[in-house]
Amino acid sequence: MNFVTGKSVSRRTLLRGAGVVIGLPFLDAMQPALAAPRATKQARRLAVVYVPNGMTMKDWTPAGEGLEFNRILKPLEKYREDITLVSGLSNLVSDKAKGGAHAKASGSFLSGAIPKYTAGADVHAGTTFDQLAAQQFAAETRVSSLQLGCEDSRMIGNCDTGSSCAYTNTLSWKNPDTPMAVEVNPRSVFERLFGTMDPSLDDATRARRALYKNSILDLTRESTQAMVKGLGSLDKRKLDEYLTAIREVETGIAKAENDPQLPTGEKPSGIPFSYAAYVKLMFDLQAIAFQADLTRVSTMMLGREGSVRTYPEIGVPDPHHPLTHHRGHPDFIEKVAKINCFHVELFSHFVAKLKNTQDGDGSLLDHSLVLYGGALSEGNGHSVHDLPLLLAGHAGGLRGGRRVMAPLQSPATNLFLSMLDRIGVEKESFGDSTGRIDLNA
Amino acid sequence: MAQTPNPVFGFAKKNCYGCHNKANPSGDVDLTSMKLESDFDEHREVWERVVSKIKSGEMPPSSLPRPALADRDAVTKYLEAEFARQDRTAKPDPGKVTARRLNKAEYTNTLRDLLGVDIQPAESFPNDEAAYGFDNIADALSLSPVLLEKYLYAAERAVRTAVFGPEKLKPAGVHYPSAVRIPVLPKDLLNYDKTGLSTHHAAHVMHRFPVDGEYSFRLVLNGHRPQGSDPVNPALFIDGKLVKSWIEEGEDLEGRIVEARTMVKAGEHLVSASYLNLYEGLPPKYGGPKPSDPKEVPTLSSPKGKLTEKDIELLRKYGTKLKTDRAEVRVDNRYESIDVGGPFTQTMGPNVASAQRIFACGLQTDACAGTIVRTFVRRAYRRPVTAAEVDPYVKLYALARKSGDSFKEGVATALQGVLVSPHFLFRVEQDRPSIAGKNYAPVSDYELASRLSYFLWSSMPDETLLRLAGQKALRQPLALKAQVTRMLRDEKARSLVENFAGQWLQYKNVDVIKPDVEKFPDFDESLRYSMKRETALFLENLIRQDGSVLDVLDAKHSYLNERLGRFYGVPGVVGHEFRRVDMSGSKRGGGILAQASVLTTSSYSTRTSPVLRGKWILENLLHAPPPPPPPAVPGLDEAKGDGSLSLRQQMEEHRKNPACASCHSRMDPLGFGLENFDAIGKWRDLDGKVAIDPTGTLPGNRKFAGPIELKGLLAQDREAYVKGLTEKLLTYALGRGLERADKPAVNAIAAKVPAGQYRFSALIEEIVKSLPFQMRRAGDAS
Repeated sequence: MNFVTGKSVSRRTLLRGAGVVIGLPFLDAMQPALAAPRATKQARRLAVVYVPNGMTMKDWTPAGEGLEFNRILKPLEKYREDITLVSGLSNLVSDKAKGGAHAKASGSFLSGAIPKYTAGADVHAGTTFDQLAAQQFAAETRVSSLQLGCEDSRMIGNCDTGSSCAYTNTLSWKNPDTPMAVEVNPRSVFERLFGTMDPSLDDATRARRALYKNSILDLTRESTQAMVKGLGSLDKRKLDEYLTAIREVETGIAKAENDPQLPTGEKPSGIPFSYAAYVKLMFDLQAIAFQADLTRVSTMMLGREGSVRTYPEIGVPDPHHPLTHHRGHPDFIEKVAKINCFHVELFSHFVAKLKNTQDGDGSLLDHSLVLYGGALSEGNGHSVHDLPLLLAGHAGGLRGGRRVMAPLQSPATNLFLSMLDRIGVEKESFGDSTGRIDLNA
Repeated sequence: MAQTPNPVFGFAKKNCYGCHNKANPSGDVDLTSMKLESDFDEHREVWERVVSKIKSGEMPPSSLPRPALADRDAVTKYLEAEFARQDRTAKPDPGKVTARRLNKAEYTNTLRDLLGVDIQPAESFPNDEAAYGFDNIADALSLSPVLLEKYLYAAERAVRTAVFGPEKLKPAGVHYPSAVRIPVLPKDLLNYDKTGLSTHHAAHVMHRFPVDGEYSFRLVLNGHRPQGSDPVNPALFIDGKLVKSWIEEGEDLEGRIVEARTMVKAGEHLVSASYLNLYEGLPPKYGGPKPSDPKEVPTLSSPKGKLTEKDIELLRKYGTKLKTDRAEVRVDNRYESIDVGGPFTQTMGPNVASAQRIFACGLQTDACAGTIVRTFVRRAYRRPVTAAEVDPYVKLYALARKSGDSFKEGVATALQGVLVSPHFLFRVEQDRPSIAGKNYAPVSDYELASRLSYFLWSSMPDETLLRLAGQKALRQPLALKAQVTRMLRDEKARSLVENFAGQWLQYKNVDVIKPDVEKFPDFDESLRYSMKRETALFLENLIRQDGSVLDVLDAKHSYLNERLGRFYGVPGVVGHEFRRVDMSGSKRGGGILAQASVLTTSSYSTRTSPVLRGKWILENLLHAPPPPPPPAVPGLDEAKGDGSLSLRQQMEEHRKNPACASCHSRMDPLGFGLENFDAIGKWRDLDGKVAIDPTGTLPGNRKFAGPIELKGLLAQDREAYVKGLTEKLLTYALGRGLERADKPAVNAIAAKVPAGQYRFSALIEEIVKSLPFQMRRAGDAS
């Protein structure tokens, strides 16, 4: 292990057995890892998975009043008991804001605050609800939260009719003036979580390398001590600093030795060429981060709001955003529906992963709340009403397997407030919320 | 003691004590407590400031009665003579440099020279702490546990790359979103860069290719062409050379993808996405060259409402290439992103250069391992080493072998250990007994070799330097001069430009500036790259081709590409490559003060700041940094200016206050002289609606009008400039801040520069021969 945690090892879930495979490409099923019983209160996780440019709502919304899996939602049907479909919510502040429709929607989505119309450095919106959770859990995890993206991470420039890229390219805002840039490179995410260790080494090699490293530190310490003897006082002080650093690194290694099992497989070397492989890899990184309790909060954008990605692999060579302005053209509508469905299929991979990962006395999915959906409903008219949203997971007693109809024109922040309740973050009100949603109704 | 009667105290009583006394020590100076001759020595810095303030006319302030010129001269001459006497009689003291940790640049270069690998090991290191304006100051550099972890990891990666070859990289992509902003169509659509590289429609990114191999390039387009245009020609360039171009038709380019693959050599290369023949193929009404044929243009029946059958068929044919909601008129074709992927084929195995450097012995035996390790330690420690020093690393090799690892693994383990030794990471100079009659001793020849190489190359001494050191021949004046000449000619002297000049003139801040998008739509990444390159090339040619140091102030040339040529209004510069251009015909003139990089980094993001620019000149060129402003000074109220007052007129307000005027009367005129350059360095004759007034007066009643005359006057202040440059270069060379005892050395060095035609090499040679560079104070005085 090449990082100094300083955090008590008992709070980390120990991964035993064959370890967890995270490699490229992601076609093998994850090997379930056995977790040691947690010493402390059950940790709850919060994730948001975002899809841009809205949906063909006729293919999302159930025909009746109950929970039905229409075309776009079909890939999630086998997880019926874990899904809570929420209908009728709106992003009301979007209508009150100025600027590009896409930027207004995603820039206000998780905060319920009106984003300032600007393409400059003076962006201003609101603290997003995932960050409220992150702030609360920060003391208990090494990484306070993850912000992941699969397209365009820049935060400056004009991304939508005079509105800043900061509004379209991220969901999370630490405070009203601080948007949090997404990480798009899986290698960087890996290194942020696991430091510089090489997961492709077998145990024997890893043990030998650890032995050499300790020997190197030993002899460096001796060499420095010998050198210090012959130095003047100023030089002594400089080299003493080196001795202190050596001692601290050695201590860190000793602490980490109690936690030898780390992911095996290959470290991601960059962004995979296949979009499906890329998205699945990012989901797997989140799942591992949750499993090892490295973080409890993550947001991920499958594309930036206003995304122009093409999907040749499902027969859609046209860019996403222009397709959604279909004006009723049946071919365009069909292609958009295919994209929406593809996204849900990729998302179901995440749901499966969480469901198949043991976490204490249940699965990760049992202890998580994952919000899936977007801040636009019908992309053609940039509608922000009756947003396509669903929850996966059961944290905080969420029963699942049902559909919740919110009163029309309810702000989405009512849902976020209810979610905060269930993961143990106390808040009176949030953004433009007017109340709470009963998710177990 | 004194040659003439001391006029100082009488003068001070009459003209200074009124404001500079115990009860009211203005500017933190109480002259009434310094009434003894010995105070000229004990409080030398204060009296030096007295001299400079009297000479410049700042003191006494203009609101008070002005003493006669003869009286002022008597005082300044007396004090200067006194200072010279102090310096003459002071005990020469070369000072002492603390153990000096290699900084990021030095570490990277040293690994490159030691192992022959170029993997950017220090990329993720925390930033080096800086002091005295430089990041190579011994006292400021620390070594935290975080950094040690990174050293361990970097050593592992570097050594393994050298011994086993580059890390096997799976093909993967790096994504570069493009921040491109298209301004209004230019009036002249006939004269433009046909490659498109210098236009706003292009995107540029510097990408580091880890190994030689085949790489893929995916360009995602964006933007629009007017309805009825001919297809466009997106194109990929690497280092300014065309790799591939494509044909794309339609109005809406959003999200289209074009891809190419090609072989690229390892290293940093400029990847550019551009449009060829940008203004050709537009509909006739745009007035561009080679307009498109008026023809049956595909259009939807209306921009709103239900689509007709005909519309549906049309959209089936053209897909999203047609705008569904309007007839397109924009000419803003640009790029969304550039993705670089690969490598797809990769040369495996260690490169020959690395192998030669490390494997000093050809067999895979224990004895050979010993030789390899010993040779490596000697080179890494930059001096001869004893068996006792080498042994522990040979033991590491043995440990690895015993644990079952191969010969190469064993060697790699040993070398990794060497790279975290304090003898490698630090440059430590030994205390030695002093020369007879002095309080200092020469640094050893090996220590001198390291000083030389880290000064001029930011890297380890090469075999030639080490050999000369071993023969004790390095110190001889002719040998030293020959080495300096050789080292400046070497490629590695590029580090001197980047690290010394980059920090001295701070032009690298161009990387982080964010000019206001609304006010300066002309600014884009292509311009940012070009302005930085101009200054880098200018300084590189000065330093490595031994130009005159005065050229920095007032050269008659610069280095431009087409983008800059257009930006500066210099005609005849065609093409994306940089070339030397004569600036004597331009209103801008040449020299660092005419270069956009410096003009931009000394401005705010929304406007120029004469104060910042004046301060920049005082600090970096005139060796006269102004003191910090007093607390609670209100900022300029930008909202108040209604455009009827120029910036200059607004600022006259705060110079009416004599307390402010004392500093601002020096700073502001310098900045006003540059007001013809806006906040991104473009020439302007108007500020809003008001004409720029570029006149001013420097102390000594020297008048100027415009930047060229200003620079001419500054070049007259060459003594101050050379002294300032000497101080900075000496600080950088020594790796410590300068003290009072260094003044004689600085004066002596600076005095010799004119005789060497102000050549940069002359300055370097004098520094290298000087006392502080060759000697070290003896004993344990802190």
